Amino acid sequence: MKQIIELDINDEVHELAVEPYDSLLRTLRDKAGMQGTKKGCDSGGCGCCTVLVDGKAVYSCMTMVMSVEDKKITTVEGLPSEGELDPIQQAFIDAGAVQCGYCTCGIMMATKQLLTDNPKPTEEEIRKGISGNLCRCTGYQKIVEAIQLAAASY
Amino acid sequence: MSTTNVIGKSITRPDAYDKVTGGKKYPVNYTLPGMLHMKILRSPYPHAKILSIDTSEAEKLKGVRAVLTPDEVPKKYFTPVYFVPYNAPSMVQDFILLSDTVRWAGQPVVAVAASSEDIAEQALELIDVEYEELPTVFDPEEAMKDGAPQLHEASPNNIAKNPSFEFGDMEAGFEDADHIFEGVYETQRAHTCYMEPRVCVADSDTDGRITIHSSMQHTFGLREKLAVALDIPESMVNVVKPTYIGGGFGGKLDIGFIEGLAALLSLKTGKPVRAEHSRGEDFISTTRNPIKVYLKTGVKKDGTYTARQIKSILDCGAHATHGSEVIMVHGLYGTFFPWKCPNQIWEGFTVYTNNMIGGGYRGYGAPQGCFAVESQNDEICETLDLDPIEFRLKNTHREGDPHPVLEGHKLASYKIEECLRQGAERIGFDKRQAAGSAEGVKKKGIGFAVHPLWVSGCVGFPDIYEHSGATVKLNRDGTADVISACVDLGSGQISMLTAVVAEELSLSADKVRIVYADTDTAPFDAPTHASRATYSAGLATKAAAVETKKRLFKAAAAVMEANADDLVLEDGKVMVKGVPESAVPMTDIIARAESPFIQVGEQGPAPTTIAEKGTIIGTASQAPPSNPSPVGAQFIEVEVDTDTGEIEVLRVVYSADVGQVIHPNSAEGQVEGGFQQGMGYALMENLQFDQETGACLSADFLDYKIPTAMEMPSNIESIFIDSHEPTGPYGGKSMSEMCLIVPAAAIANAVYNAIGVRITELPITPEKVLKALGKL
Ligand code: FES
Ligand code: FES
Repeated sequence: MKQIIELDINDEVHELAVEPYDSLLRTLRDKAGMQGTKKGCDSGGCGCCTVLVDGKAVYSCMTMVMSVEDKKITTVEGLPSEGELDPIQQAFIDAGAVQCGYCTCGIMMATKQLLTDNPKPTEEEIRKGISGNLCRCTGYQKIVEAIQLAAASY
Repeated sequence: MSTTNVIGKSITRPDAYDKVTGGKKYPVNYTLPGMLHMKILRSPYPHAKILSIDTSEAEKLKGVRAVLTPDEVPKKYFTPVYFVPYNAPSMVQDFILLSDTVRWAGQPVVAVAASSEDIAEQALELIDVEYEELPTVFDPEEAMKDGAPQLHEASPNNIAKNPSFEFGDMEAGFEDADHIFEGVYETQRAHTCYMEPRVCVADSDTDGRITIHSSMQHTFGLREKLAVALDIPESMVNVVKPTYIGGGFGGKLDIGFIEGLAALLSLKTGKPVRAEHSRGEDFISTTRNPIKVYLKTGVKKDGTYTARQIKSILDCGAHATHGSEVIMVHGLYGTFFPWKCPNQIWEGFTVYTNNMIGGGYRGYGAPQGCFAVESQNDEICETLDLDPIEFRLKNTHREGDPHPVLEGHKLASYKIEECLRQGAERIGFDKRQAAGSAEGVKKKGIGFAVHPLWVSGCVGFPDIYEHSGATVKLNRDGTADVISACVDLGSGQISMLTAVVAEELSLSADKVRIVYADTDTAPFDAPTHASRATYSAGLATKAAAVETKKRLFKAAAAVMEANADDLVLEDGKVMVKGVPESAVPMTDIIARAESPFIQVGEQGPAPTTIAEKGTIIGTASQAPPSNPSPVGAQFIEVEVDTDTGEIEVLRVVYSADVGQVIHPNSAEGQVEGGFQQGMGYALMENLQFDQETGACLSADFLDYKIPTAMEMPSNIESIFIDSHEPTGPYGGKSMSEMCLIVPAAAIANAVYNAIGVRITELPITPEKVLKALGKL
């Protein structure tokens, strides 16, 4: 049976009709129309679906929507502020860290938490911070460079 | 070269902004109002006859709109591979959307369209299929034996294809040898692991015409194969080019099942139908074919080859699909022609088994060949104490040599020696230790591999489409629109086409847009595959831009009262060559060309000239002139923990001749990403199946491991040798597949150097290392 819930996504309240078994990923993509969050596996293996829940990076495919009703959700659509790209987004462009880009939004969300918790991470810490996210195009090298670039402006 | 000069500079990728802000334009995001959702019931058995199918309960479920069973599917057998005609004689036509015989666990049996994914899923559980199980065979060499279960009537002993080539005198060649080396080298199933699933939305018009959006590597291939699968004329299908897709790597180079089934269900219901693979479905829908290579090589004392005999056995699984072409490419470009050997014989077998079907995968038969040949080359050098770099150079082609495969063509740009020497110098190859001599538990080793011959497309291959086309149109605001059917897989085709047009038309890159294209409106383009996009689509797009420029000069000649042949385009201005005062901004010319014939000015109406009128537009459609070979060599340092068997890659140097680099940042990205895939192939990736039930045991990322940022080495160094391909766009040729052809062989040779024992079966897992060391 569908239920109406209120979700705080990127500081905006969304009223959504969801099934109690819906994942946050499905809710975001199919019900809230926010397609920046991607599905790569739907089973906690790839990180394409990473979003922040109360500032912590989670796999939205493994998060039941009912469990985040009273939490703050941040997706890639919420990264820019006042019309400006977040430095992480800009750095991903500048470093050439985007190829097919399918992993990019998830990795940027993982980066957001990483740099919020640890604004000057070592390379090792960066690699660890995104180790829950797979990328098949870049070999991660330019992604690590992008995160270093973003960290320089954090 | 014009003053804009964007070639060789890393322009900002035009697609990057959209992708970092959410990436609206992936096929996975495409929806239509009222669309239905399709799910597929798949066979649990690897080999069975379907006796009956009862869908009555499923059809009663609320929300189910249509069910599709094998008897409703046109009985058309075809080749699903995009880059060849569906009935290509060099391929095998054994593919059908739904059949009453299943030959692999996971083969589609019934498709359901419902108002939601959940309902479609539920409906599958209500379908009753009665199977009669048939005997199975999973090992290709078993499958070739008399009496083995037969998969396809037309292929006795399950041999789908059996090509061979030969030259010289084998007997004399082996007699001439001072040493003969023999080995068997085996590779596994690996998945491309594109991150965006295969997905499509098919919609039908009232006249039965299909429009389809899909995550795939070839618009025109999908048009052709979909028309065949549906048994309708090609013009009844329109394929919309995805702006970009979430990776392909060869894994989206055939029609597969979802497009055809969704289109049939759309025709049946009159509604759009969307289908999306689960990751598990993706894992059992495409793979690199495993190949077992029997390799025997005769050499003189000094390392000169005298004879080589190769037998390659490829497991294509239940249907031949790509397997019939992979074996050829593996033979020609993976093993036989890269090296110079006077007497050679190669025989290939593409063999049916009850394993999953194969697919395309970056490198297409060459990583398997390179692993075999370069492992053995390393053995030869070790045994005969030869300098491994000089040994390679002794047995490879050189710049200016005739192309070993393509008659009448030359290896015009071919810097193999520089690749090897510069790579060796960068890694410090001359300081490497003798194999297995490192002290301690953790042993370091250095190794390398080179692949001396590859392609920039498919010119010269039988039955393979190769031509490309584009239309370039100038707008009054000084921007250019490019219509091209070339799909960007993520590897940078948008940037490349943008750079080519910007360069040719003296525009800054931000003035060029790659716009909407579909098979109704764009000229044909072969797929984005075979490392061909830069060379073939790049050249055709450049030719289209040249046509556009001619048209611009024609209008400018009228406006400027000059001779078109005397005009040049510089800095966005048209001028008479050598007369800078004559310069007119190109936007003025375009505006005049697009303006009303009689323009009303302050002095009243004034006619312009007829000659200047008309859209400044150019189209080209052409096959590329040649198929120049890139060269790639990779040098690796590893550390092997002899207690745990674990292997860490410490350093990677890749040196390549790719001609003029069009976009350096993207080029490095190809090397780095290619290495991730190659390292996965070498060390961990393996699609595994239960040998009784045929069920996939590694159908998710928890069981199918690919390298994460933690396992990857910190720095993959790219060296691009200064080179210029005379036939290529601005001197460029191809690069992308080579980056994945060499890593496995290079890593295997580095592991050998570290531990002194050779492992000849991929992936080189800790278990295999410990076994090789006698510790297990
Ligand atoms: S989609 Fe959530 S982890 Fe892959
Ligand atoms: S950029 Fe394609 S998966 Fe990361």
